[in-house]
Amino acid sequence: MSPEPSAVEGRIVASALTKVFGEVKAVDDLSFTVEPGSVTGFLGPNGAGKTTTLRMILGLATPTSGAGTISGVAYAHLPVPGRTVGAVLEATSFHPGRSARNHLRVFCAAAGLPDKRADEVLEWVGLTQAARYAVHGFSLGMRQRLALATALLGNPRVLLLDEPANGLDPEGIAWLRGLLRHFADVDGRTVLISSHVLSEVEQTVDRVVIIARGRFIYEGKLADLEGASGGVVVRTPTPDQFATAVASLNAKVTPRADGSLAVVGATPEAVGRAAWEAHVELHELRAGSSSLEETFLRLTAEPAAPPGPTP
Amino acid sequence: MINLIRAEWRKVTTVKLGWGMLLGALALAALGVVAQIASNGNGANGSPLPPLSAAETQRSIAASAGSAYLFSVVVGIILITTEFRHFTSRPTFLIEPRRGRVIVAKVIVAAVVGIIYGLACAALTAAIMAPWFAALGVSIGWTSNGVLLSMLGDILVIAIFAVVGIGVGVLVRNQIAAVIGALVYLFVLEPLIDIIPVVKNAYPYLPGAAGAAITGVNRGSLAHLNAVQGGFVLLGWGLFFALCGWILTIRRDIP
Ligand SMILES: Nc1ncnc2c1ncn2[C@@H]1O[C@H](COP(=O)(O)OP(=O)(O)OP(=O)(O)O)[C@@H](O)[C@H]1O
Ligand SMILES: [Mg+2]
Repeated sequence: MSPEPSAVEGRIVASALTKVFGEVKAVDDLSFTVEPGSVTGFLGPNGAGKTTTLRMILGLATPTSGAGTISGVAYAHLPVPGRTVGAVLEATSFHPGRSARNHLRVFCAAAGLPDKRADEVLEWVGLTQAARYAVHGFSLGMRQRLALATALLGNPRVLLLDEPANGLDPEGIAWLRGLLRHFADVDGRTVLISSHVLSEVEQTVDRVVIIARGRFIYEGKLADLEGASGGVVVRTPTPDQFATAVASLNAKVTPRADGSLAVVGATPEAVGRAAWEAHVELHELRAGSSSLEETFLRLTAEPAAPPGPTP
Repeated sequence: MINLIRAEWRKVTTVKLGWGMLLGALALAALGVVAQIASNGNGANGSPLPPLSAAETQRSIAASAGSAYLFSVVVGIILITTEFRHFTSRPTFLIEPRRGRVIVAKVIVAAVVGIIYGLACAALTAAIMAPWFAALGVSIGWTSNGVLLSMLGDILVIAIFAVVGIGVGVLVRNQIAAVIGALVYLFVLEPLIDIIPVVKNAYPYLPGAAGAAITGVNRGSLAHLNAVQGGFVLLGWGLFFALCGWILTIRRDIP
């Protein structure tokens, strides 16, 4: 792969990221791209490796192998990272005895920003009233807002937010959605938000990267996943050949309880053509009828018998 | 760099801990000074100690304020382990990914905090000694008896131990384990080393003993280092721990 494609300003690239903790392969050969001007959902069930992946991209954890870049360079090599990238990793990065304003002022000093910036971001996230209170009295939603305020201090063009909707009330989620959409649509910033439930972010994101058990599952427009969200149900006597045939579609094949196969991420037309071109015998081909959330669950489910090509 | 130092300074001044520990340090220093003066029979019959007018006694009283290093080492440990405990390490190292610079800023701020603790303890010692000695009609040889020098030693010891604390905190990120480990070492392990044959030859060069040597307190079974030697040895320990902290912070993942 040539280095040029990743050198786009604001683009986040993970290339073959792998992280092993002792016996656990937390992230396994994970590659994906996040484009500026979009809100990308980084999805996967608990323990999928989302936080670990973000930590590697942000230079907090060293990958066992592979690399992550932002605007074409490793995080540590960004000219002014504190003013280029804003990140939240689980909303817990506060000293409980420090007030919200002082928390922000600490990082204003570190980033060389004027102190009034702390009050500005507090107002943005609606915490002006609570500015003088110690964080230990904050609710989870208030912590999320303060974490977001910290990420916004340097007015970054790239935002990486780990589970930002966690603990927000519906009103807060709507507010966050508006803010992130504005950043992407109007400002053209890059926004990556992780979540373990698709429904929490499905109204906010336009692209998704889905992982499970540290491995890449799906990457693409949410609309494509939605279009195919019913999926395609296929019955074939040769499932292995079928999986090989549709491999080029970038779709995920999983066995269903009744012995048929579910194909997610492709239309019935594309699946039929691929099977026909590979001379795979089909006994049934029809559009499925599951919701987006069911599709997500099926995509990330533990594989019973590994379908598709396994490396 | 100056930005990072300002940030680290704010971290210290915006939580209560630093002030609480300062009070603790002052209390410990005062306790040592008061106990020494009160228990000194001042040459009365049967008192085995040299009288209060002796240079040795005056130095020893001033030096007892140095015991406040126990608080400065704990403050150093807490300054760094708090980051890992509350994950403020994340925004800290996101804003400055050149991790070595953060550690340098922390070491500088820890040293400044240590110097402030030391100055406060020395001032309190003087404030206790001067009126008490005056009341007893004993004059203090601030310079002629080396009392001021002894106090300078206190400040040095307290400041260097704050830096040592940073290194210990990087080494052992768990806050409680690091604090308990450091205190167990200073109170139990180091005195124990002093009584093991052969190994005890190393005792005068250990941090606690070197600190004691600076303030001129005779500790341990062997002849101890003189104040200047002790100063260099302790400074060496401070640099060693700061370097360990620097290297480990660069090499290990930030939680
Ligand atoms: N520092 C670590 N040491 C050992 N194992 C770790 C460490 N960090 C993460 N893991 C393991 O790596 C795997 C992925 O964890 P990670 O936190 O990245 O998942 P996640 O997708 O963020 O999950 P969640 O939705 O629960 O936040 C888990 O099995 C976790 O136990
Ligand atoms: Mg996580």
